[in-house]
Amino acid sequence: MMDGILDLQKKALEELDTIHDRNGLETFRIAYLGKKGLVTTWMKKLSALAPERRPEAGRLANQVKMNVTRCYEEAKERIALQKEKVESFLDVTLPGRRFARGSVHPITKVTQEICRIFVKMGFRIVEGPEVEWDYYNFEALNIPKDHPARDMQDTFYVSDNVVLRTHTSPMEVRVMESQTPPVRIIAPGKVYRRDSDVTHTPMFHQVEGLLVDKGISFSDLKGTLTSFVHQMFGYETALRFRPSFFPFTEPSAEVDIRCVICKGKGCRTCSNTGWLEILGSGMNDPAIYKFVGYDPEVYSGFAFGMGIERVAMLKYGIDDIQLFYKNDMRFLRQF
Amino acid sequence: MRVSLNWLKDFVDLEMSVDDLGEVLTMAGLEVESREPLGGSLQDVVAGKIVSVRSHPSSEKALFLCDVDSGHGIFQVVCGAPNVEVGMVAPIALPGATLPGGLKVKESRIRGEMSVGMLLAEDEMGLTDDHMGLMVLPADLAPGASVVDALCLDDSAFEIAITPNRADCASVIGIAREIAALTGQSLRRPHIRFKEGDRPINSLTSVTINDPGGCPRYAAGMVLGVELKPSPFWIRYRLFISGIRAISNVVDVTNYVLLELGQPLHAFDYDRLVENRIVVRRAKKGESFTTLDGKTHSLNSENLLICDAQRAVALAGIMGGLNSEIYQGSKNVLVESAFFDPVTIRRGSKALGISTEASYRFERGIDIEGVVAALKRSLMLMSDLAGGEVVNGIIDNYPSPHHRPLIEFSADKTNRFLGTTLSGGTMARYLSALGMEVEREDENTFQVKPPAFRVDITRDWDLMEEIARLEGYQRIPVTFPPIRASEELDPPEIFLGDKVRALMVEMGFAEVISYSFISPECADRLQTPKESPVRSFVGLLNPLTVEQSVMRTTLIPGLMAALGTNFAYGEKDLKCFEWGRLFLAQGGEQLPGEKYAFAAVMSGLAIRKTWHSEERPVDFYDIKGALEGFLDGLGLSSCAFKRGQTPPWYRPQAAALVTLKGIVLGTVGELAKEVVKSFDLDETRVFAFELDGSLLLDHAFPETFFKPLAKFPAAIRDVSLVVGKDVECDGIQKIIEREGGELLESVSLFDLYEGGKIGPAEKALAFRICYRSKETTLEGRDINVLHERIIGKLGKETGARLRES
Ligand SMILES: [Zn+2]
Repeated sequence: MMDGILDLQKKALEELDTIHDRNGLETFRIAYLGKKGLVTTWMKKLSALAPERRPEAGRLANQVKMNVTRCYEEAKERIALQKEKVESFLDVTLPGRRFARGSVHPITKVTQEICRIFVKMGFRIVEGPEVEWDYYNFEALNIPKDHPARDMQDTFYVSDNVVLRTHTSPMEVRVMESQTPPVRIIAPGKVYRRDSDVTHTPMFHQVEGLLVDKGISFSDLKGTLTSFVHQMFGYETALRFRPSFFPFTEPSAEVDIRCVICKGKGCRTCSNTGWLEILGSGMNDPAIYKFVGYDPEVYSGFAFGMGIERVAMLKYGIDDIQLFYKNDMRFLRQF
Repeated sequence: MRVSLNWLKDFVDLEMSVDDLGEVLTMAGLEVESREPLGGSLQDVVAGKIVSVRSHPSSEKALFLCDVDSGHGIFQVVCGAPNVEVGMVAPIALPGATLPGGLKVKESRIRGEMSVGMLLAEDEMGLTDDHMGLMVLPADLAPGASVVDALCLDDSAFEIAITPNRADCASVIGIAREIAALTGQSLRRPHIRFKEGDRPINSLTSVTINDPGGCPRYAAGMVLGVELKPSPFWIRYRLFISGIRAISNVVDVTNYVLLELGQPLHAFDYDRLVENRIVVRRAKKGESFTTLDGKTHSLNSENLLICDAQRAVALAGIMGGLNSEIYQGSKNVLVESAFFDPVTIRRGSKALGISTEASYRFERGIDIEGVVAALKRSLMLMSDLAGGEVVNGIIDNYPSPHHRPLIEFSADKTNRFLGTTLSGGTMARYLSALGMEVEREDENTFQVKPPAFRVDITRDWDLMEEIARLEGYQRIPVTFPPIRASEELDPPEIFLGDKVRALMVEMGFAEVISYSFISPECADRLQTPKESPVRSFVGLLNPLTVEQSVMRTTLIPGLMAALGTNFAYGEKDLKCFEWGRLFLAQGGEQLPGEKYAFAAVMSGLAIRKTWHSEERPVDFYDIKGALEGFLDGLGLSSCAFKRGQTPPWYRPQAAALVTLKGIVLGTVGELAKEVVKSFDLDETRVFAFELDGSLLLDHAFPETFFKPLAKFPAAIRDVSLVVGKDVECDGIQKIIEREGGELLESVSLFDLYEGGKIGPAEKALAFRICYRSKETTLEGRDINVLHERIIGKLGKETGARLRES
């Protein structure tokens, strides 16, 4: 009979372990600890024992009742805890309530970055008209009418002497006309050429730079633009200066950087030369000082210009210039 | 300019690799744009002697069966060339060879007959465009000999970009001269020697220059009794590489010398010149002339003409005439070698829309001192190739002799200008290498006379550039200009533009950039009336397309196009903006008014369906909210929205003016259905605003002053009013603010209710009013009195009544 109570305890405790909800727990309580439960019923049977065995059996029975009751309480707590844990579960992987971010056009981004670099070097930003006098766009830049250099740029005309500026260089003249040296300016903006094909858009962006002071040399031009290229494309970027021609600079220099795609091995982007043209530059030709009344024996300086689209294409690996003006969100949202 | 490397080698020794030569030229300013090996793929082509020729038995077409001795045995080859004959030596590609263009030669059967290899015409080998028959090789060439070796075809073509200033390099001799200077080699001049006949040229012709300004020098020579026939291979090959079509020996010589020496020449049929003489004059207005391409041009006094005694025979420096050109029966040739004024030629060529190899060179300026040498070179080649007799002497009419400038040059100044420390001796050496006459007064000062072919060099700066070029830009030091503080402020437009972008990006808008030119039809699509400023277009004289023919007067069309781009691939929930310039024609002014504008559009869903919210389409209050947020960012939250004269592209019920102290900054609203449709965006609601950038500049960023934080508690009262639907919220707020006076801190609408118990012509508005005093804690009683008074006023002025709860 004593074994009976211990068997009962074992069975009860094993059963408790399998219970995971409140209903099961209540069924258990009624089945074992209720008025007609197995434990209670068993204890009632104690009176049938011989008197000398009752105390010990009574103790044992009480012990079992206490054990079962304690384990029952524990299970109750465990189940309550479990329930709360599930009910209050927070799925941290659900997407948040996002604030939608917009995007800045890559041309703006690159323009801002170029300007930032030159502003650090003491250049001031200036702007000027996009519909411009032929005089500022050509004549005063030493590109007279009937000069072959006009062939270098296909021009949109508004009238005989008004054009859509073909470069940002007119700002050089406008600034020099309005102030005496020293001059350090950077002029970003839209420019227009009558040219539309796979690699050209009739509108694009340039940044022009001009520095005039006493004692400025070609080596200063090299230093300034080397620093710019390093800041813009990374300090490991190799560059080279190569003679070229612009009507308003002399000597003129094209600045090439090591091809960012093939690292100089030669690829389609660089026409297998290993180099990419990135900047046009040169010392100011004294001829343009004549137009603005600067004395070329006293002042010297340099100018440079670059196409922003080209810089953006190289920097971001964009292979189609047309993308800049289609305004496709799948493109714009990447910046 | 595209030129054969072997041709260059005629004039200068090259002791470097082809790669290195490319690098040297590029780094000296003659950019090598491409390089291409020539003859490289002809290694397997050998000389074949044709031993026998018989007709192909089963072909109606003229096909022949030839037995060809290829040096490695005699093979049968099927060939259709009309010039095939026994004893002839022709190039043959044996099976296994690959021809230019990738064709693999195989043993094959042609109409049942074996053909082992292929007898070749010049074009099949990529040497010229000749396909008249088999290429004829020298008869003494041994069968099996390499054709590449026999014809010196181990060659490369260099495509060199010539900048407009370097007219002197638009010739083989010019590039060779530059290579010689860069590498320290000496230049070999072309060979000129010929026998002259007895008849003096002056007895045969004369040259009269009536316009010495347009024609400072005109030289002429003559060859009598020429025989016209195709030029030998080497001339045709070199012309072909440089992109000039071979025509006949006489004409080819003029083109050959043009490429070789940069001097354009023209050959006239002497017998077709009336009175056999030349007159140079300006054209008369309306005079017409037919060039040798058969086109007739109407001329004016800008055009310079070469004439005979009666009529024009050539457009000077541009193109010859049909009436005097060399033809198959020509016997006697007059060759012109002249210098024409660059500006005159350029104007003429531009006006007529004709650009030729000749005009290209004259426009840039040729070597006026090389005119006679080029003439003599052509006379020599012509008599060599076409036979005939060169007449005695030449005519050299040189009414305006050229004076080479004498330039004072300072080595010190050059070093300062370049940042170098070169010695005077080095500089003098560089200048001499370029053909300059250098006279050194002392270590520092030289007198320099540039050669006549360097038309680009007139000042000491031009010489400094040459020093830099020969020294090599890479060897010039790297220094930095002295630091100077930039004291001027950047233009406010730049600052505002950056701010506009930052604010809009914060609110989820994407920046777009549209073309500044639009179609004038946009004004119709926007339904603007005749006198609308939107129609004060600045038009382009030479637009690419009508769609891009006027400068924009509003940003809306560009933004609509951006929507269109994205709609096309199914993206309709869009928020984008543009900050850019508008261009407005101003009566009487040649330059338009340019001003910044700022516009944004929204379409599709304002909120997409997510796990936490239901989807909701964009409406007026989304675009207005974006605009309010934007204005707040500029310190312009006091802007008001009013009904008024809004632009016609908005739906009138859903449009407002944005005003600040009575000034209209811009407009906001929903675009009219027809407008949306006219931009090919069907069934979509589009909301937009556009603001005047210059007005924003005037008013943005008012000075900020700190307001002390409130010391006393606020009292909050809510009031719920029922008003007519057409009573504007703003009017009610204004009354509350006015009546609340000093004690009113703020009023805000927190609920809007329509329908239900509220009548169809009414709406319920609930405001939260915050009262606060700067001096004291307000008593409930006092506030209630004020609050009641306000409600009373609202009732009187707007018909508002309290909403029953
Ligand atoms: Zn590359």
